[in-house]
Amino acid sequence: PGGGAALRLRSTRAPLEGINKPVIDRVIRVDHAGEYGANRIYAGQMAVLGRSSVGPVIRQMWNQEKTHLKKFNELMVAYRVRPTVLLPFWNIAGFVLGAGTALLGKKGAMACTVAVEESISDHYNNQIRTLMEEDPEKYKELLQIIKQFRDEELEHHDIGIEHDAEATPAYSVLKTAIQLGCKAAIFLSERI
Amino acid sequence: LRCQHYPPLRALQASAALSRVSDEHKKEPLTSPSQQQFDSHPDGHQPKQEPQGPRPSYTGQGGQESEDYESEEQLQHRILTAALEFVPEHGWTAEAIAEGAKTLGLSVAAAGLFHSDGSELILHFVSECNTKLSELLEQEQKLVQLGEAEKKPTDEFLRNAVEARLRMLIPYIEKWPQALSILLLPRNIPSSLSLLTSMIDDIWHYAGDQSTDFNWYTRRAVLTGIYNTTELVMLQDSSPDFEDTWRFLENRVADAMTMSNTASQVQSTGEAVVQGLMGAAVTVSN
Repeated sequence: PGGGAALRLRSTRAPLEGINKPVIDRVIRVDHAGEYGANRIYAGQMAVLGRSSVGPVIRQMWNQEKTHLKKFNELMVAYRVRPTVLLPFWNIAGFVLGAGTALLGKKGAMACTVAVEESISDHYNNQIRTLMEEDPEKYKELLQIIKQFRDEELEHHDIGIEHDAEATPAYSVLKTAIQLGCKAAIFLSERI
Repeated sequence: LRCQHYPPLRALQASAALSRVSDEHKKEPLTSPSQQQFDSHPDGHQPKQEPQGPRPSYTGQGGQESEDYESEEQLQHRILTAALEFVPEHGWTAEAIAEGAKTLGLSVAAAGLFHSDGSELILHFVSECNTKLSELLEQEQKLVQLGEAEKKPTDEFLRNAVEARLRMLIPYIEKWPQALSILLLPRNIPSSLSLLTSMIDDIWHYAGDQSTDFNWYTRRAVLTGIYNTTELVMLQDSSPDFEDTWRFLENRVADAMTMSNTASQVQSTGEAVVQGLMGAAVTVSN
């Protein structure tokens, strides 16, 4: 075709060739929901603690989550994945969780961060395992992205620990409750 | 896995015999007993690849042809395609399928491969139409990317896509009400729903929808509503070249656009009001 050499036609079908669509669908849907929820959690925390001494720390972590969400928005469009119906729910639940734990104080907010980031890192590790079992070559780009995000979530986790998350009253109870919630959220967002 | 080539006629006669036996088990799709029969042969039948199991996949493309070998699914595909020619005369029935099989040089017993209510024929037709629509939209997209065509505004794009898809019904319009009622049988609803949703998703995708929030659902729900109502209007339309239907479609799409504009206006007004109130609160507290 004339002029075809210089112009690379980007068919929107290209990324979809030969991938295991059900698996990739789930991966992207749940990760998108997760980053969306994380965004809302930090937004809730900022609403309460924005002007406190941990404000800048939270804001920085929030900005990183915003980048993550942006990336998953792009992937969602590229792979034509349906977002979870529960998004409006995660919108509110995330904000409430963030604001609620922030009302427990700075340590409470950090405890929430630790709990959530630990859940997310575990979850990303599971996904990395799944994709490696499927086909590490085919999903190279996706694997790279998830690995990078997992590392950044682990950083957030460490920041939370540094800021005395473990000194929160009823830390283990709070942490367990939040992580259970995260597990449920992951389970549902993969499917619905 | 290299498989024995089963001459189609023998396969059909075997299936036909089986179908008489399996007629009592009306709930099973007729293809599965025959599938199991073939699988028990030592030089087995090519196993079905698609994730949905033994039932022919209506939502994807048929199997690839490798050299001489034709899978059962491809054969059924060919028979159903040939049968479409006879639908205007015989309706979506086993007669049409039998006639189609005859034109391919096969025995009329081939109709026994399929359900007597014509479900597979209709689902096949819908799947083919959807594929044609996707290809049309893909072509259009290429032209726009090459700069040989203008990008259409969303309402025009949606209108054209729905019209193009509905026009594919025109040769079969007399018998389409029958088809719709069969598509609504509980047994067929998973397949017909899946075909409908993937078609609507395709249209929005090519229209350039990039929503990743709840809008994704709203837009598809609205377009599904537009498509279904326009289809029903078309069934009762006797105007020349269905111009009443296309006018109805235009109005519905315009309504949808207005609704979405109003919704975003309401949202931004709401946001402005909230900001105003916050400002007032801050002022009062100072």
